[in-house]
Amino acid sequence: MGNSLCLFVNSMEQENREIAHGLRRRDPDLLDELIARYQYRLPRYLLTLTGNRQAAEDLFQETWIRVLEKGHLYNPQWRFETWLFSIARNLAIDLLRRHEPESLDALLHPGDERPARDWSDNKSPTPLETVVADQRAERVRVALRHLVPEAREVLVLRFQEDMDLSEIAEVVGAPLSTVKSRLYRGLEAFRNLLEEEEA
Amino acid sequence: MNPETHERACHLIDAWQVEGISSPEREWLETHLSECPACQARARANEHVLLALRSNSVTVDPALVSTTQARVRWRSRELRENRARLRALWISCGLSWLLGAVTAPLLWQAMAWLGRQFELSPVIWITGFALFWVAPATVVGALVAWKHSHPSGLKNDRQAWERRI
Repeated sequence: MGNSLCLFVNSMEQENREIAHGLRRRDPDLLDELIARYQYRLPRYLLTLTGNRQAAEDLFQETWIRVLEKGHLYNPQWRFETWLFSIARNLAIDLLRRHEPESLDALLHPGDERPARDWSDNKSPTPLETVVADQRAERVRVALRHLVPEAREVLVLRFQEDMDLSEIAEVVGAPLSTVKSRLYRGLEAFRNLLEEEEA
Repeated sequence: MNPETHERACHLIDAWQVEGISSPEREWLETHLSECPACQARARANEHVLLALRSNSVTVDPALVSTTQARVRWRSRELRENRARLRALWISCGLSWLLGAVTAPLLWQAMAWLGRQFELSPVIWITGFALFWVAPATVVGALVAWKHSHPSGLKNDRQAWERRI
């Protein structure tokens, strides 16, 4: 157990070093691979932050441009995804600050009709499964939308992105105790909201 | 069961998911859950919440990955070209400085000779000498400022490329 954990940590450190080396060289193949690797998780996080698909997609692109430009600043001692999500978060905050109240309101009420595919599911579901899944996903989205943004963000990072508490604290730039209290409050609020949605 | 026991159980149910709990706490909680239907319901509700969160999917434009990859490659090329341009500029600046330093005594003598020939005051030909040194930097500065205020050919190329995709 101890040996396998040690091997896992070593391989992660090795991977982080390779990523840092590639980012310093602005290796396009490495960036292609990273973009493909985070194609589900990063947009999901950005969608949680902005509540708007178009904004999330724009930020997804901007995040990777920023990774390219600031890649030399990546320290392999950090996990790459913690650094990546921090960049994405800062860009999302900048975007939300730039928007005027009307635009911000539009951001919080998504409704574009562009053709899109379900990123988290590669197999073809039956029409009934699709309807049920869509309804369930809609309930979750509605409940998430009603949470305060700080709680929504930490819930997504903890339970969708499986980050540990210290990583979440790094991404959101808050003390560990704040992250914990946001998680407890968020979990309780989300449980109540989901129960209301399903009632 | 007293309210404190339930309160502790509820806290541990949440803590289990949020930050993890110790083995003795886990054993205590499991024992409590086997006896308490209310806390069992709470634990089930939590599991349901986490399942809902984890199975939450998003829909996005299918072309996003390829567009992003292409945009990143484009920007990477742009940065490489900018770096090459900057290197060429530094090299030319260095050469220009070297040439200036080597020819400065000759230029000084030439200016002094012109001053004598046209019977100019030393202030005038010394000012001429100084201007001769400052003029190239002023022209380059003006060119750089002009370039910043006008979109480059590369940017036009990029806009055209973005329209294509």
